[in-house]
Amino acid sequence: MSDPTRIPPTGLVLSGGGAKGAYQVGLLKALLELGAGIDMLAGASMGALNGAVLACAPSLPEGVQRLETLWNTLASQSPVEANTPAYLKLLAAAGLTLGTPLPTVFAQVPALAQSMRWAGSAMQVAGVWSESALLSDGPLKALMDEYLDTEDLMRGLPLYVAVFESKGGLADLLRCAVAEAGLADTPPSRFVHVQSLPAQERRNALLASAAIPLLYQARQIGDARYSDGGQGGWQTAQGNTPITPLIEAGCKQVIVTHLTDGSLWSRHDFPDTTVLEIRPQTPITPDGSPLGAAKAALGFDSSNISRLMKQGYQDTMHCVRRVMKADQSRQALRQSEQALTDSLQRGNSADAALTDAMSRLQ
Amino acid sequence: MSHDIAPITPDAPLCQTLNCLPEKFVVDFANGIDVARDHIRVQRGRTSFFSRMYDGFTGQGARRNAEINASLADGVEASLRWLCELTESLAHSNWAIAQVSDRVTALTGNVAQLAHYSADTRRQLEDLAHQVDVRIQGMAREIARIDFIQKAQLNVDATFDKWAAGRFAGLAPAARCYAALEELRWGALGDYCRNYGGQRQCRDFMQMVTHRAIKQLAEDAAINLQTTVDTVEVWLAAPPARRGDSDDMQQALAYLADGMSTDAAPFVSSAVQQRPASRSVPLIARAERVAEAMVQEVFPQEMANV
Repeated sequence: MSDPTRIPPTGLVLSGGGAKGAYQVGLLKALLELGAGIDMLAGASMGALNGAVLACAPSLPEGVQRLETLWNTLASQSPVEANTPAYLKLLAAAGLTLGTPLPTVFAQVPALAQSMRWAGSAMQVAGVWSESALLSDGPLKALMDEYLDTEDLMRGLPLYVAVFESKGGLADLLRCAVAEAGLADTPPSRFVHVQSLPAQERRNALLASAAIPLLYQARQIGDARYSDGGQGGWQTAQGNTPITPLIEAGCKQVIVTHLTDGSLWSRHDFPDTTVLEIRPQTPITPDGSPLGAAKAALGFDSSNISRLMKQGYQDTMHCVRRVMKADQSRQALRQSEQALTDSLQRGNSADAALTDAMSRLQ
Repeated sequence: MSHDIAPITPDAPLCQTLNCLPEKFVVDFANGIDVARDHIRVQRGRTSFFSRMYDGFTGQGARRNAEINASLADGVEASLRWLCELTESLAHSNWAIAQVSDRVTALTGNVAQLAHYSADTRRQLEDLAHQVDVRIQGMAREIARIDFIQKAQLNVDATFDKWAAGRFAGLAPAARCYAALEELRWGALGDYCRNYGGQRQCRDFMQMVTHRAIKQLAEDAAINLQTTVDTVEVWLAAPPARRGDSDDMQQALAYLADGMSTDAAPFVSSAVQQRPASRSVPLIARAERVAEAMVQEVFPQEMANV
C-alpha cells in the first residue's frame, strides 16, 4: 500500500547545448534555493557532463557549488581546443579529392551526395572524418579528471546519459540534417545508466554523450561506437531531452530544462508524468542564425557564461513561481474548504448544546 | 513574456514548497503558459521569407503550432476543471453561508428568548431581593428585639440580684422596691418598654417584675406572702443600722421621685418620704399590694395594658 504522504521521486533532465550548459548552473542554483529535491538525473551532451558533476557530489548544494566553480573555470579556460593533426589531415583530404571549399561539404545531404558526381570523393572525406575530430578532447578529459571521481559517482544520484550510435561523424551529421529537413528522423538515442556500466566505460559514456559529430571523437561502449546523445530522435528532441529513462526508472515528476529557444520537445508525449519545463523566457541564443547557434554552443567566454547563469536562475524562478502560485491558490482553497467543513461540524455540536440548554429554560 | 509578474526572491514563502510538484493538471496549466510563450516568441521571430519557407518545408512550423495549440487546449481543459472545482467550492460555501444564516437566525431567536428569560429572572430576583430585604430587616428587628429582651431580662435579673444581695439594704423595703424599679425604668427594661409598649412581652416583663418584687419584699420583711403587715412599721421603716451612703441613696430617690405627684404615685411618695404620704396608702398591706402599687406608679403606661 502506497504512502500518500510520500513524495514521489523527482527527476531532472539536463538537455544538451554545449556552452549554453552554463544556463543549467543558474537553474540549479534557483532549484536549490527553492528547496527542490532531486532523486535522479538524466543528461545529454553537456547536460550529461553537468549531471555527472552533480552525481559525483555528496549533496546537491555541493554539486551546484562544484558546477559553478567548473563553469567559472571554463569561462577563463575554454575546453575547445583544435585537434591540429586531424585538422590538417582533413584539409588535405578535402583539398585533394574535392577541390571545393570546406563549407560546401556541410551544405550537402546524403541523398544529393549520392546522385552527384563527386559522391565518391565525399565519402572519402567522410571516411577521414569518421576516424578523426576537429577538436581535441584533452581539455575535457583534464576537467573530468579534476571534477569526476568514479567512486563518488557510484555513491551519487542515479545518472542516465543519452548516447547515439554513430555511423561516422559526417554520416551522423548528414542524418541530423535530413531529420532537420523533416525527411526522416534520426534513430532514437540510447540511454545508459552510468553507474551500471563497467568502470572503464563510464568515462567513455560521458565523453560519448558530449561527442559532437566531427568536432569530437565517437567513443566505444560495448560493441558499438557512440557520439552525442542529442542527435537521436532529432525531430522530437528525444535524445537531447532524455526524460524516458527517468520515467522508466519510476519518476512521476520531472523537471526538464531546455537550452534551445522554442524546443520542439513535447510534454504531451508523456501524459502520465508531471513535467515542469524550464524554458528560456528571453532568447538564449542572441543571434538566431545557424552560425549564431553554433557560436553560442561553443562560446565558452566569461560574459556569455555569466549571462546564461543569470538567465537560467531568472527563468527557473519565473517558471516555478507561476506553478507554485497556482498551487498555493489551490492549497489555500482546499484549506479554507476544510476549515469551513470543520467549522460547520463544530457548529453542529454547538447547536446541539445550545438546543439542550434552551430546552432547559422552557 | 509576462512582464506583469514581479521577480521572486528566495525568501518568498512559495520558495519553501518545491519539495513536491503540485498536481499534474496544475503544472500543465501553469507551465503550459511558459511553453506556449516560448513557442510564440520563436514563432514571431520567424517571419522572414526564408524562415517561413524553412519552417513550412521542415514541418517545424506546423509542429510548433501543434505544440502551442496543445498547450492552449491543456490550459482550457485545466481552466474548465478548475472552474468546476471553484464552482463546487462556491456552492459549498453558499450552502455553508445559508447554514450559518439559519444558525444566526436560530441564535437570534434563542438570544431573544434568553433576553426575555433574563428580564423575567431579573424581575424575580428584584422581587426576591426585596422580600429577602424585608425579611432580613424583620429578622434584624426581631434579633434586635430579642437582644433587647435579653438585655431587659439581664437588667431585671441584675437588678433583683442586686436587691437580693443587699445593695439597697440601707433603705426601707418600699424604698428598696422603688430604687429597684427606678433602676429598671432607666435601664434596658425601661428602654424596652418605651420601644415596645403594649406588646405582650412588655406585659410579661411587668408581671415578672411585679412577681419578683413581691417575692423580694416578702423576703426583706421576713414575712409570708399572704401576711399583711403594718405599712409604716414594716414597709416604710428604715433599717435600724444605716450605712453612710444610705442618706445619699435616699436623697437620690427623692430626686428621682421629684417629678411624681403624691396623688399619682402615693406609694412612691410614701417610700421616699418614709411615711404615708396619702390617704390612699393603706395602713396595713401585704407585699403584693405594695409591689403592684409601686410597679403601677413607676410604669404607669406599661401597666395600663396589663
